Amino acid sequence: MNAFSRLRAFERADHRYVYLGTSAIAAVGLLVSQQNPTQLSVLARTGLFQDVLWAVLWAWIALSAAALVTKLMHWRDYTTASPFAATPGTPAAAWLRRGSLAVSCIALVFILDRVVLGTIALAQVSIASDANPTDFLSSLIYMTSRSGDLFLHGIGITIALATFGTIIAFFLALAMVFLRIQQFDLIDNDAVRFLKSIGRGFSKVYSTVVRGTPMMVQGALIFYAGFGVLRAFGLDITQANQIWSAFTAGLVTISLNSTAYMMEVLRGGIESIDPGQAEAARSLGLSQWQAMRKVVFPQGVKNAIPALTNELIINIKDSSVLSIIGVFDLMYATTTVSGMYYRQMEVYCVAMVVYLVLTLVAGRLLEAFGRKLGAEPAGELPSSN
Amino acid sequence: MADSRTAAAASAGATPLIRVEGLHKSFGDLEVLKGIDLTVLPGEVVTMIGASGSGKSTLLRCLNLLERPDRGQVWFRDQDLTADRCDVNALREHIGMVFQGFNLFNNMDVLDNCTLAPVTLKKMSKAEAEQVALGHLSSVGLEEFAHANVSRLSGGQKQRVAIARALCMNPEIMLFDEPTSALDPEIVGEVLEVMRGLADDGMTMVVVTHEMDFARTVSDRVVFMDQGVICEEGDPEKIFGAPEHERTREFLARYLED
Repeated sequence: MNAFSRLRAFERADHRYVYLGTSAIAAVGLLVSQQNPTQLSVLARTGLFQDVLWAVLWAWIALSAAALVTKLMHWRDYTTASPFAATPGTPAAAWLRRGSLAVSCIALVFILDRVVLGTIALAQVSIASDANPTDFLSSLIYMTSRSGDLFLHGIGITIALATFGTIIAFFLALAMVFLRIQQFDLIDNDAVRFLKSIGRGFSKVYSTVVRGTPMMVQGALIFYAGFGVLRAFGLDITQANQIWSAFTAGLVTISLNSTAYMMEVLRGGIESIDPGQAEAARSLGLSQWQAMRKVVFPQGVKNAIPALTNELIINIKDSSVLSIIGVFDLMYATTTVSGMYYRQMEVYCVAMVVYLVLTLVAGRLLEAFGRKLGAEPAGELPSSN
Repeated sequence: MADSRTAAAASAGATPLIRVEGLHKSFGDLEVLKGIDLTVLPGEVVTMIGASGSGKSTLLRCLNLLERPDRGQVWFRDQDLTADRCDVNALREHIGMVFQGFNLFNNMDVLDNCTLAPVTLKKMSKAEAEQVALGHLSSVGLEEFAHANVSRLSGGQKQRVAIARALCMNPEIMLFDEPTSALDPEIVGEVLEVMRGLADDGMTMVVVTHEMDFARTVSDRVVFMDQGVICEEGDPEKIFGAPEHERTREFLARYLED
């Protein structure tokens, strides 16, 4: 919308580049019109009318060329000496603007006729085709339409993995960060101190191990470990597969993995809270736990919301590595389809676009969600784990 | 008036509310408190003055164990706060504290700041706690700000809310840690006015301050600290009028000429 209004402002502006700018548009229209019309093309059937439009585009380019020549001849006194210079506000300038607009519209008509209708025609042919067409776009449409169910299923699993994984990880991370930031209080006895040390140590080691290893390896380890445990309990392969499916293992992996990152994000948010907040609560007689829960945690979590919501976007992308253990996500679907047709470029382009759309949509939704919770907007797409 | 109050407390044979004995505290290699003895009687207003880094704030923070002393004892009434099994949380309910940086809870409005502790610790109903809180807010002149976000308040208003918040726990003593040092000069007065009112109502107060005029006119006793020890203490006329110690004279001379 913004780009469109800027384009329109450029078109309507009374500046001398209106010749050059519009002739660039006319050139695009001419280039597009050179493509062979498809059977859906409307202009091709009008014959003479199309030729007239074509001539108008050429005429504008010729006019621009003439203007350019006078510009070169009258480099300094162009506005006064050249017959093509239109002073802003005069009828000449208004005509120039109208002409520019008309030429742009003609170019647009050619683009609609050749590109949009052409693509639709191509899609119809491709979908109806018996064999996989050889050219890129036809093949892409053919394979996407034939394997649409696989792609949709994969997209669904990817969304489910990322969404549920992030939600589960958030609650696990809350528990883990609580262990992580435990400090000895005056009134703690030795048993409490011992437990706090254990909890703090555990969450530290957990964070180090999980963040220091690839999720692909974690996924494989969790999948086969779970499988092995079930087998050790005497289940046969089919039973074990039913309980411990690749999806379950994948969800566990992405949850446990994301927990470590979210925990660090939460810790950052909580540690950024002025220690005076906790001190004030303690000075009123609140226990360490009460001060944490009522005063420090709510502020820390709120601070961390933008970074926390970024975890969902990261998980949408990073869940793709779980296809290694056979989770039927978008990546797995893409690999499957590319194997079926033995065509790679086209299928991975589809996956690329779908992932981009998913992360952009998720980003927009999360931004609105964060604003509702009163957090600052997060900004750019986050980098991967 | 101040004298009569101290005299009344002394003649009643009142036990000290706070008693500090042989208090030592170090931060790393820096020894901040080097053996402090201090008593505060009920109803007394004690101000602590001294240069920055003399240990006033650390001493004050030791009184409710926000800072844990390395050696020595702090008694609140007859309970030793530094003892191993002492329930410090329960005792802190009786010791209000006001901080230099206000430390209002940013995730709550003014009224919730005041009711959090009473509702959580005294098991008051929300309505009852709000009633009490509104009373204290009106005594500091801020009842119309009860539902305001704390970030909208000025520094002076924040500090008055902080005082009201502490009062809501109905404390027996109030500790003030440089309550006006973070305020613009023109709003220091409104906070001091509230504190003056508290003192007149007979609240026991320990105030760390650089407001010499407040120390001279409101306190029953002035404690001058220097380099981790109590250098000199006595009634304000004596400390400000005829200080015994050379360092007290130097400090006051430096302060009063400003």
